[in-house]
Amino acid sequence: MKDFMRNNGILILIIAVLLALIITVLSVIMTGFADPLTNLVGIVSTPFRNGINAVVNWTEEVYSDAFQQDALKADYEQLKKDYAKLQEELREAQQAKDENERLRNLLGLKERRRELNFEAATVTAYGADNWDSAITISKGTDAGVTAGNCVVDEYGNLVGVVETVGTNWSTVMTIVDSDMEMGGLIARTNDAAILEGDFDLMGQGKLKLSYLPETSELMAGDQVLTSGLSGMYPSGLVVGSIEEVRTDASGMNRYAVIVPETELNNLEQVFVVTSFDVVE
Amino acid sequence: MTRHDFMIKWGVYTLALLPVWFLEAFVLPRYPLFGVSPMLLPLAVVVVGVLEGAAGGAGFGVGVGALCSAVYTGSDGLILLGLCLIGLGCGALSQYVLRRDLLGCFLCALLGLCLLDFCRIALRMAGGERDWMAMFSLAGREILWSLVFVAPVYALFHWVFQRVPKKTHF
Repeated sequence: MKDFMRNNGILILIIAVLLALIITVLSVIMTGFADPLTNLVGIVSTPFRNGINAVVNWTEEVYSDAFQQDALKADYEQLKKDYAKLQEELREAQQAKDENERLRNLLGLKERRRELNFEAATVTAYGADNWDSAITISKGTDAGVTAGNCVVDEYGNLVGVVETVGTNWSTVMTIVDSDMEMGGLIARTNDAAILEGDFDLMGQGKLKLSYLPETSELMAGDQVLTSGLSGMYPSGLVVGSIEEVRTDASGMNRYAVIVPETELNNLEQVFVVTSFDVVE
Repeated sequence: MTRHDFMIKWGVYTLALLPVWFLEAFVLPRYPLFGVSPMLLPLAVVVVGVLEGAAGGAGFGVGVGALCSAVYTGSDGLILLGLCLIGLGCGALSQYVLRRDLLGCFLCALLGLCLLDFCRIALRMAGGERDWMAMFSLAGREILWSLVFVAPVYALFHWVFQRVPKKTHF
């Protein structure tokens, strides 16, 4: 060995220096790439590394299946609970958003109709009797509601009139009920007439405008408001619009069929007009 | 039948009435067919009258009538009297004329509902309502739609009837 180094030492040193130089130069030239030696080692070792990695992964999976199933199940159950909770929160948020929108609309209505005082109420039930059209709301005498109060939706469209009052509930006779009767006013022509429920129209969710002035020229789409002439109900509440004008069975009198502006079958929140100033 | 059996029997009938009432008061009014929702509580009185006889039917009719007075807006004590009479009449019919089966129930329901709506029309006409065509049309739709529910209501109360003590003493 001593002889070998003595005879070839210089040569080996030169080869080593040359190799070092070549590798140094190549690594400078091929910046970002592996040098050939490293590359060669990588090429040879990659299949082995992949194989080893696959074996380790498989082992981990088997271990997880065997020993971590309970933990995964618990995590899954927890996630399910979290999901249900989030869903519930989403529903609540949606309800709050809807209510917020209704109250914003009411705020606009309050600004427009300063002479009216409102009490918000929720619709708790729809009348089950086919012979009447009524809803039950969540406010009664304890909130200052009295029989005869008008009930409107958030846009100020008339829903009906309070018929019976309990402590914390009231029943509201809707505008299409056959017993409904109040003064109406056609907004375009200013003609006064009588709004009344009709048995036949009640099933279709409509009412009629009777005792029309002979000279009145009505058009489909004309808006009908409450006249407030009796002083019992506030004036200017939107009732609905004229659908068509018909002649009654006697052939002597005309009446208009009114389609309510409010959606009577789809009410969630309403507002009771607990008091109002008569505007002359 | 002991007092205890009696209480259990009518307690179970009351429990059976709850889903019927829930359907009638809260679910079906939201999905009217031809503009009407069915009358299920009077049907329950008819069915119990047919199954239990005149006395049981009349007693049950009083209870359901009280519930109807609360559920039907604007209805008064007359519905209580009407349902009591319907229970009594259906019970008597099933005891002496008809069989105590679905067909008997169906016929009694038809008679009972017709009587109920006839009284309503008569009262409204007495009150000044003149649109009798519209009222008969409403009554017809209401009765027909209600008759569809005779079979399920009969099935429910017949199931209860088979599981409660049979003899009723008032």
